[in-house]
Amino acid sequence: MVEFKNISFSYSKESGVYDIDLKVQDGEFCFLVGPTGSGKTSLLKMIYFDILPFKGEINVLGYNSKKTKKNKVHKLRKKIGVIFQDYKLLQQRTVYENIALPLHINGVGRKKIKDNVEEALDLSDLSDYQNKFPHQLSGGEQQRVCIARAIVKNPELILADEPTGNLDPAAAHKILKILEQINKEGTSIIMATHNYKLISDKDYRIIELKEGSLVSS
Amino acid sequence: MIDQFAFLISEGFKSFYRNKLASFLCVITIFINFSILGSLFVVGYNTNSLVDFFRSKYTFEIFLVDDIEEKTYIDFVNQLNSNKIIANTELIDKQKSAIIFKKEFGEDVVEMLGYNPLPISVKVFINEEDFDFSKVDLLIKSLSNIDFVDEVEYRGRYIDEVEDRINLAIFLFLVFVVAIIFLSYQIISNTVNLSMTNRKDFIDILKYNGASRIFIKIPFYIESIIYSVIGSSLSFFFVKYFFITFNSYFDLNIKMDDYLWLWIIGFSIFIGLYSSNQSMKRNLNE
Repeated sequence: MVEFKNISFSYSKESGVYDIDLKVQDGEFCFLVGPTGSGKTSLLKMIYFDILPFKGEINVLGYNSKKTKKNKVHKLRKKIGVIFQDYKLLQQRTVYENIALPLHINGVGRKKIKDNVEEALDLSDLSDYQNKFPHQLSGGEQQRVCIARAIVKNPELILADEPTGNLDPAAAHKILKILEQINKEGTSIIMATHNYKLISDKDYRIIELKEGSLVSS
Repeated sequence: MIDQFAFLISEGFKSFYRNKLASFLCVITIFINFSILGSLFVVGYNTNSLVDFFRSKYTFEIFLVDDIEEKTYIDFVNQLNSNKIIANTELIDKQKSAIIFKKEFGEDVVEMLGYNPLPISVKVFINEEDFDFSKVDLLIKSLSNIDFVDEVEYRGRYIDEVEDRINLAIFLFLVFVVAIIFLSYQIISNTVNLSMTNRKDFIDILKYNGASRIFIKIPFYIESIIYSVIGSSLSFFFVKYFFITFNSYFDLNIKMDDYLWLWIIGFSIFIGLYSSNQSMKRNLNE
């Protein structure tokens, strides 16, 4: 599903990721852990080809970082759902409209959009919020909207970049629970976090990064 | 597919609506620019008529001495008519001169003075095709040297000058047109630029969710089409009714191309699409 082959990337001399070899299998749920600046976000960005490695190559869902042309990257991204720490919700749109956006991109018909959005709202426990605007929701609720937007298109892979970073423990647990449920339905999940406490009792694979290098996987 | 297209159209309108002030200023600028451009189109369209109008003045008048015999001036007129550069002639004898004088000044000169002091003259119309000023000038000089020719009055010397000025005006118009097109390009480009900056979050979300470049661009193309259509339609109506009023007020016959609306609106859409595309290229790092 995801394969890093000896990749390196750096923004500057001090920050980046170096010589990473890594494989994530279909249906896997893994945590990407490490302190701030260890390269977690860079690694996730490389998975959806937002940044490309200087050295080595990445294979994601059949797309190779060296062979995929710039104008074909969107095809890969259609198969990936991304959850951001800062939610990246459109403030002038309702919860429903935010969640429906990826389906419009995929050219899904109105009827199917309605069905899929309702299903995603249900799974994220947001059915009562569909006509609200993001600024009317709490942080945890906004993050659930972000999750609903990521899952609504039934992606093969979900990348969650510190999805619980801004949340209180209860909200963070709820988010993790939703992600676990999504994973049980067959979607692979890579979740970046530095909240060790949250994942300490979980029996999932942990990939640890430190100063851009792989410590354990 | 239809739903997707409807979504993109609605996004274009939303974008237009959200940047109210920028959209309003853009439409007003397009309106002003295309009103000027449309007026220039109309002037350009009528330039040929203007040149024809001046060319129709390609005449000169030969005034003959008072004591000339009838046979002499009739032979002279026949001789003139056989000249290739002359289209035709009109003989104005003493009676005709008196009628013209009465028409223009309201006085019967014969009744007033008891005799007719007006000279016999010949109005000469020069062939407009293959007009060559030097040939006409040469002809006038040779005619002036004839004994029974008193004076040759020719206003054509100024026509060349007028045509030169018309050509200069056309050149200046073209420079002006280019400047206006450039200005419209800049305004639309900057407005789309502003719109894209305002909607950076929207563009990012589209990108991360797998939207192709064309999908991201279409709402902004639509936005620029809306600016162009509104601004140029207003300018078309302005130009049309301006010239209708101008014609009726000054009793002129300035004509308008039947497809003026198509030129103005089509051209503004073209500029709108081109400038927004350039702006998007910059914003999407293409």
